[in-house]
Amino acid sequence: MSKLIYNRRRFLGTAAATGAALASPAYLRRAMAQGSGEVNIWTYNDFVPESFKEQFESETGIKVNVRLVDDQGKQFNLLAAEQPNPTVDIMTVAGHRFLQFIDSELLAPLDTDRLSNWGNINPTFSESDWATINGNKWGAPILSGMEVLSYNTDYVTEEEALTWDTLFSEKYSGQTAYIIQDMMSIVMLMMGYDGNMVAYMDDPEKAAQIVEEAKQFLIEHKPLVRKYYDGGAEFQQMMVNQDIVLGHSWNGPAAALINDGFPLGMTIPREGSYGFVYTYNIANNAPNVDNAYTFLDAILASPEIGASMTKASGFISTYKGADQYLTELEKKSTSFPEEQLANLQFFRAEANDMKYSLLDPAVEAIKAA
Amino acid sequence: MTYDASAEREGRPGARPAADPTFWGRLTGWGPYHVLMRIATASPRRQFAILAAFPILWVLTQHLGPMLQMLRVSLTDAYPVAPGVEQSFTLENYARFFGDSIFWMPFFRTLTFAAVFTFCTLVITYPVAYFLARHVSRRNQMLFLLLLLIPFWVGEIVRTYAIMILLGNTGAVNMVLRFFGLIDRPIPFMYTSFSMGVGIVYLTALYMLLPLYSALEKLPKSMNEAAADLGAGAWTRFRRISLPMTIEGISSGCTLVFLISTGFYATPILLGGPSTTVFAETIAGFFHVAGDEWPTGAAFATIMFAAALVITAAFQRLMNALRKGDRT
Repeated sequence: MSKLIYNRRRFLGTAAATGAALASPAYLRRAMAQGSGEVNIWTYNDFVPESFKEQFESETGIKVNVRLVDDQGKQFNLLAAEQPNPTVDIMTVAGHRFLQFIDSELLAPLDTDRLSNWGNINPTFSESDWATINGNKWGAPILSGMEVLSYNTDYVTEEEALTWDTLFSEKYSGQTAYIIQDMMSIVMLMMGYDGNMVAYMDDPEKAAQIVEEAKQFLIEHKPLVRKYYDGGAEFQQMMVNQDIVLGHSWNGPAAALINDGFPLGMTIPREGSYGFVYTYNIANNAPNVDNAYTFLDAILASPEIGASMTKASGFISTYKGADQYLTELEKKSTSFPEEQLANLQFFRAEANDMKYSLLDPAVEAIKAA
Repeated sequence: MTYDASAEREGRPGARPAADPTFWGRLTGWGPYHVLMRIATASPRRQFAILAAFPILWVLTQHLGPMLQMLRVSLTDAYPVAPGVEQSFTLENYARFFGDSIFWMPFFRTLTFAAVFTFCTLVITYPVAYFLARHVSRRNQMLFLLLLLIPFWVGEIVRTYAIMILLGNTGAVNMVLRFFGLIDRPIPFMYTSFSMGVGIVYLTALYMLLPLYSALEKLPKSMNEAAADLGAGAWTRFRRISLPMTIEGISSGCTLVFLISTGFYATPILLGGPSTTVFAETIAGFFHVAGDEWPTGAAFATIMFAAALVITAAFQRLMNALRKGDRT
């Protein structure tokens, strides 16, 4: 059955992607007039749909070089090491990490006037308060994600998955996994604190005490966890191999498993969770700026492209009307009940310097404990 | 005109070979080339220097260069240098390791794991090497070695995933145990020090096997036969003859495996669990974190490098002492 679902999904995905490619020839013809060359992109797996890439390359003559990344910090360090002559044109920065990149002069402000398809992005994302810094836009929102509690529906009930406490229960000892750094923010939320730490910007002592509490909580519960992991693929593999039955994850990798027919469910637990938005950004001193804008405008051209990104990655598209190109299963895997969405808040960047200066040593201490 | 080789060696006129239209022919017939070759090959020492220049240059730039750069970065307070930031030299990064005990656990855990896994690799591969060197006919030895080499044709990550396929909850080992009714629920082999150990032993086995095989192969059969004639049992023959005479192979193999084991990163990440964090993961953490943490990561890497070298040197001294003790 899962094979059937998988094949049908693949077929629909390919059909949607082909439709998307056919929907944008007029734009691509315009782009072709701008000349050929290449555009270098650092992004996560499945964030550039393969069929779109092929179509873009054949229509514009611009070669798309994708380098996969799996971590915002690694991306920052790579770019910092390459400045002032980076090899990258477009990168994929999470909205709540903007400040760090902007402060280090790694990003160029986005000239939205050069993007005729900017209006295709849902204003909830393109006009959010985090999207404008120093009066400029710094990225084109493409996909939205959140931290969720994912569970194997054959072993864990939905009721149990409505609270983060289940992740730390004896019942599922040795069958859970999470990303420590992300979990620290969620544990702070579980304890009733602000995991963004914006509320403690004027009180560093309080902030340190909260991080210490969260750290001690995770150290105490360390014997119960099977694995601290780093990337979505690891989580998927552990679930499929039934090494774990329950875990904190990003919604994208979890949705991809659901769409493949795996008996997985996900919730935004009642204690709350955090959401984030991935954006495409243009690097400061990018070598192929014109090609980068050509690419950005092309990928924003139609909701079908947004839908194909969602199908491949499992994250929620920021494009207006993308959901109409999703199957019922895909819609289900990328949506949450209203009462759960009410528990969600977005990551914020204002206190990042203080937050990560406290969190990073705490994470090391948890690993070492 | 006939080619006069002795004339060319002596540099007399008429020594050049007949005109050759190819590139190499034109080059060898070119005057400056002859002058250059005469200068370059004037003495054996000069010939050696020219031949060794490229390998030495390679080692200096590709091996020593990055290490020196790491050392330099470890002594700075910022790297990569952000705009408007002035870089200065400091020992703060080293002090951070010695001043914060949270880093000691993964450090000593790594050294302990490396020592234990090296010993396990030795114990597992010694009988294999012994069998290969002493009981397989010389004609078939290359075939056996080739068979043992096959897994090494693919990369470390692929071989690590092979271990995951074997040891996972739905992996081959648990499937077989369940098939024979030996277990009801899968044994959680994965994400433990056991799975990590299996992976590291598997990945490093060849580095132990080859030096052992080389040492055992040189061991004269007549010595064991003579000992047997004099009444020595199998254990005594092993303890008094095979082991002392292969100590160089053991020393080389252990050194290689230990040094490699201290630096493993991907295997502990993929096979290890929450309680097996090794120092390479701690170091990598500093390079992943966005910010000025590279110098700390570089300092920690230097500390591990120095510790591994010190331990290896001590081990080599011990082995030398054992060898000398055996001879006296």
